[in-house]
Amino acid sequence: MHGFSRRWFLKTGSAAVVAAGAISTLPGLPSAVGALETQGPADAEATLSAEADASSALEEPLVAHVRDLSTGEIGLFSGTREITILDPQLAARLLRAAR
Amino acid sequence: MSSHREAPEISKDPVADSTDLYAFVSPDAPDTVTLIANYVPLQAPDGGPNFYEFGVDVLYEINIDNDGDGVADVVYQFRFTSETTNRTTFLYNTGPILSLTDTTWNRRQTYTVTRWEEGRSPTVLASGVPCPPCNIGPLSTPQYPQLAADAVVTVAPGTKVFAGQRAEGFYVDLGAIFDLGDLRPFEQDHTTFGLSNTGLGQMAAGVNSTAGVNVHSIAIQVPIADLTHGGTTPTSVTATNAVLGIWTTASRQKVCVRGGAPWGESGTGTVAAGPFVQVSRLGNPLVNEVLIPLAAKDHWNSEPPSGDSQFASYVAHPELAGLLPVLYPGVFPNLAAFDAAGAPRSDLVAILLTGIPSGVVPGFQNYTGATQADMLRLNVAIPPTTTTPSNLGLIGGDPAGYPNGRRVFDDVTTIEIRAVAGATLPLVDPSYTPDGAAGVVSMGLTSGPTDLTAMGTEKYLPDFPYLGVPHSGFKFPSKSA
Repeated sequence: MHGFSRRWFLKTGSAAVVAAGAISTLPGLPSAVGALETQGPADAEATLSAEADASSALEEPLVAHVRDLSTGEIGLFSGTREITILDPQLAARLLRAAR
Repeated sequence: MSSHREAPEISKDPVADSTDLYAFVSPDAPDTVTLIANYVPLQAPDGGPNFYEFGVDVLYEINIDNDGDGVADVVYQFRFTSETTNRTTFLYNTGPILSLTDTTWNRRQTYTVTRWEEGRSPTVLASGVPCPPCNIGPLSTPQYPQLAADAVVTVAPGTKVFAGQRAEGFYVDLGAIFDLGDLRPFEQDHTTFGLSNTGLGQMAAGVNSTAGVNVHSIAIQVPIADLTHGGTTPTSVTATNAVLGIWTTASRQKVCVRGGAPWGESGTGTVAAGPFVQVSRLGNPLVNEVLIPLAAKDHWNSEPPSGDSQFASYVAHPELAGLLPVLYPGVFPNLAAFDAAGAPRSDLVAILLTGIPSGVVPGFQNYTGATQADMLRLNVAIPPTTTTPSNLGLIGGDPAGYPNGRRVFDDVTTIEIRAVAGATLPLVDPSYTPDGAAGVVSMGLTSGPTDLTAMGTEKYLPDFPYLGVPHSGFKFPSKSA
């Protein structure tokens, strides 16, 4: 299964994001992304800047579901894939952005 | 009903709601098996202007287990696409639809068929296959049988498909059975709960509630060897690969976001993401409908057959078997005694969850092993009965019928009511004597076992896709209350 890398997530920074049941576009998301953990192999390009990826197109929907703020468990859905990441900082930032 | 609107959540999602599943050795092509999965229940034929169609966001699958573990070894997947060709009109069609490419037809569907087999890459058998329109009336669809026949497409050697509207082939007296278990031919024996002036109390003919409604069918006819373990065509009823387990599923993607996105069909902006999750399942008729408790029905729909041991107690101790002696006092005393003793209904477990082993019914078996799984079980080495088939299938002495797979005309409601009433208990408990009523109870929808038309209310076809031409909206308007 394809893992969602930090770079991949940054590339999709204009995605609609679902947090705690709300749907919102988060223009500030790229800068909000901190140390994103992935289930897949470590991404050697994890340090790519948001600016470098901003020109990439979002070719399919990306939906994030914050399941648990305390553990930072976030489900990412795109295409027919689903992965779970653990990133309390990202979860907290998503919540703040959604309020 | 067989599985129409059988669970609370799926009843709100008709395009994903499986209603009936049929599997039989094709009577006119006995080296093939025909599989039919029906969806979109209880269609009023005049239900325009947006007539019925398949869900473009639903993954429809017909699953085949050929090694008895309740896990699919071969899967046929169907995905549909809708197209609105004329975006300036509100009409489904702007003139008579005389062909599947007619420009007067404004709202049409095509589909992709993909074959998946364990250990192999999926194979797209065909894409862009047209569905026929719905049968609207003599002005819109004046040559409907030909239109539908043109939608039967050969997609591989010996393999043909059809997907589209059909006349509902399942017959049942909904109005009676869901009125606290009334069976009109036997209502003089119903307890009526002490109510007076119910209008009941005398024998009455059954009413085929589905006689005038349509359904959407996904049908595929494939060589037997494409489905069996080892890829051979068994000729012995006891061959180890002679029995197939079959079920259908509908799945949706986990996430749906409505509005405001550039993706989605017809500019709706609705997008879906994530893996598909199963929302509907159907193997044997009436299992989820009648045996599974209301609170567990949608969970049952989400589970694979391989996990059905969790539901086995509902089969072994069916609520309906306990209700029959209560609803019809004095009619089922032997069943009441058996039920009171608490012994499991091993006959029902065999029929519905494991198949019937060799040695129980002479010359017959459809056993798939110890794994308890709700699947239609078809022994493909049993040839189709072409002379005087019985709508009662195996209990009518016809081994080519239900529960050996299921043919379109099988009276599965009567078969299962009789089984639950104890008619099949002697198969596993020779000391048990069925009540007299167990062998005659029915909904009164056929004139007898050789009636293959439900007293003229069903008009099946002699060849693929076997289910009848859908009722025309013009000729069969919805019944008024």
